[in-house]
Amino acid sequence: MTKRKMKWFGMTMTGLLALSLSACGGGGTTATNNASGDAGGTKTEPTKTEASEPAAKDITITFQNIYPDASDPKNQMMKKIVDQYQSENPNVTIELDSLNTDQQKLKLKTQAASKEVPDITVVNPAAQMQPFVDADLFAPLNDMVEENGLKDTFQSGILDYYTFDNNLYALPDGNNIGVVYYNKKLMAEGGVEVPKTFEEMIEAIKTLKSKGIQPMVIGEKDSWTGSFLFMNILLRTNGGPGFLQDVLDGKKTFEDPAYVEAISAFQQLVDAGAFQDGATSFDYNAGENLFKTGTAAMYYMGSWATGGIETAEVSKDGNVGVFQFPTVGGKGNPDEFMLAPGSAFAISKDSENLDETKKFLNYFMQNFPKEAFEAKGAVGIAQNVEGDFKAAGYSDMAMNVLDLFKKVKGGDLAFDNTINPATTQVHLSGTQSLFVEKKDPAAVAKELQAAYEENK
Amino acid sequence: MNVLKVSRWTIAAFILPCLIVYVGLVFVPILVSLYSGLLDWNGIGKSTFIGIDNYVKIFTNDSVFWPALRRTFTLAGFSMLVQVPIALLVAILITRFVRRPNFLVSSYFLPVILSVAIIGQLWKTIYNPASMGGMINQILTSVGLESWTHSWLTEPKIAIYAIILVSLWQYLGYHILIQFTGIQNIPGEIYEAAKIDGADGFKADRYITLPMVLPILKISIVLSFIGSLQSFDLIMVMTGGGPAHATEVLASHMYNMSFITMEYGYGSSIANVLIVVCLIATVLINLLFTRLEKRYT
Repeated sequence: MTKRKMKWFGMTMTGLLALSLSACGGGGTTATNNASGDAGGTKTEPTKTEASEPAAKDITITFQNIYPDASDPKNQMMKKIVDQYQSENPNVTIELDSLNTDQQKLKLKTQAASKEVPDITVVNPAAQMQPFVDADLFAPLNDMVEENGLKDTFQSGILDYYTFDNNLYALPDGNNIGVVYYNKKLMAEGGVEVPKTFEEMIEAIKTLKSKGIQPMVIGEKDSWTGSFLFMNILLRTNGGPGFLQDVLDGKKTFEDPAYVEAISAFQQLVDAGAFQDGATSFDYNAGENLFKTGTAAMYYMGSWATGGIETAEVSKDGNVGVFQFPTVGGKGNPDEFMLAPGSAFAISKDSENLDETKKFLNYFMQNFPKEAFEAKGAVGIAQNVEGDFKAAGYSDMAMNVLDLFKKVKGGDLAFDNTINPATTQVHLSGTQSLFVEKKDPAAVAKELQAAYEENK
Repeated sequence: MNVLKVSRWTIAAFILPCLIVYVGLVFVPILVSLYSGLLDWNGIGKSTFIGIDNYVKIFTNDSVFWPALRRTFTLAGFSMLVQVPIALLVAILITRFVRRPNFLVSSYFLPVILSVAIIGQLWKTIYNPASMGGMINQILTSVGLESWTHSWLTEPKIAIYAIILVSLWQYLGYHILIQFTGIQNIPGEIYEAAKIDGADGFKADRYITLPMVLPILKISIVLSFIGSLQSFDLIMVMTGGGPAHATEVLASHMYNMSFITMEYGYGSSIANVLIVVCLIATVLINLLFTRLEKRYT
């Protein structure tokens, strides 16, 4: 109801404004650069307004996002940019719909089913956004990304993951790689070095375990965490990237030796006692917290975890380091990483204010790198950042991660970004089962292949 | 008969608002779900009509469905055959031996009003491995029963029972409250008369309380059965159906299929199976109790 009242109030004010303007007798002729004009809002004081065009329409843009945590730098950054935009464009109201990742995924699916996608929403790259694109829900952003040189701010190649049939549908907020974080103090206590090969890693795990130090932690209740690590092993056993693409192209199957070998390697990790007891009942946050509280020696995760780990207790005195996932069985190149192009902002095709929404998102993404840099959240964003990280007070660990980024020579995407959801689920629960049961690797692979063929 | 002379139209007019809400919120969704159960649809894009293929797949080619169904019935079985009888026993004992029962009944009822998310998190901590501060395992270790310790929520064979226990614990108070109220409604004169005839204590329970509380017991049983079929939140919070589907029940399977695997049509058909199971079971339970009631009255 208040909304309606506000509307009436706004309209009355607009009317008054128009009257006062005509009374002044067309004093001001300077046109505002603002295409939408900026008269009409209740915020505008009549005496200062010089707009000669008719009152611009008040519009509201719904901005669905996954930065709900007010203590998170990204949330503060988002609010700052939104406030700036609103003060520059008084006729535009940005309505934030901040949800956590899982809720947002679910809400968007429900909204998509009833064709009520918010003006701006969040999607995940490649295969995960395919169904939405197929359903023709998003507006192409090809023109928009060219405006104000926005396209050049993005790292080269990153936009490909959001492009279908030469149409770009979403702009990413992140671009990450899979790395292993380690607790220097615990590693020293256990007397182990940073492993150079997977075999050394297994040995290190056994040594740590025998000294009562938890070697690794994982939040496997959210089964993508195990899958992400598994895929990094596969990236090695396959001797390079592209395994899943080969499967999609029909050149390989999941029963390929590379895949089976990766399962065996993963089982070695589990058998060596790498992960905490009851790993499958820890969700992502709970698993990560074990590392952040300094209870575990190593933690494999995407570089998006850097910010959180950096500010945690465990990072005091530069206690946390990072290393590249090692070779497995002498195969693979550590400079190839698991690549994780981040979640991305897409615009609803049926948005009532398509142009305004595009304009806002353009503005938002323009300001994103600068604000992220200031909020110390610029490690692993999808855009190029100008500025001296070291001088800005980023930690040594963050600098290490940034150095790893420079080493990247290709890599693979996560399973769910490449293969359809139904097969992905079989893969995820298959990987999860490795944590709790002794299984024949060939049988696991066979089951996955069967599921893939059925859901092709 | 028409003492009040209220016209049918008036009655209809008074029922209508409720009826519309009920139909709109219950029957329409069921119909929609019946229809989408016949589709191959990811919930977003285009859908294809595939007839009963989804159902064929459910019954013949879904390695998760049957175990999930079995687990659902296990949960229902425990709930009906363990939880409700215990609740009845407690209710009888409270009525007989406790002078001011309200406090006790309220205490038993307390877990029911707590959010399932809280209950789940609480019990997750209790079930944790000893190294993570799990209470049960620590107690077992401290009394020298280390061989009994388990990783309760992650061992596929045990996990579902660990969850069932929590669910029984949470809703015990609910059934105690229902049955306690039922027992209180039995007129005291009957017991007094029985006493004169020599039926006291448990004999009175056997021949008076049980038969007279039957209708209430029926409500309890039906509620516990339907509640078990719908059990979802607790499983989502505690294990998410894992590890590797080991704690999946029908409702969580339906959810995973619809929203995670993005096979909305398939998920709908699982939902429909669930509805049918619910209906059949409710009818069966009703039949059973009609018989029992006939026998005892």
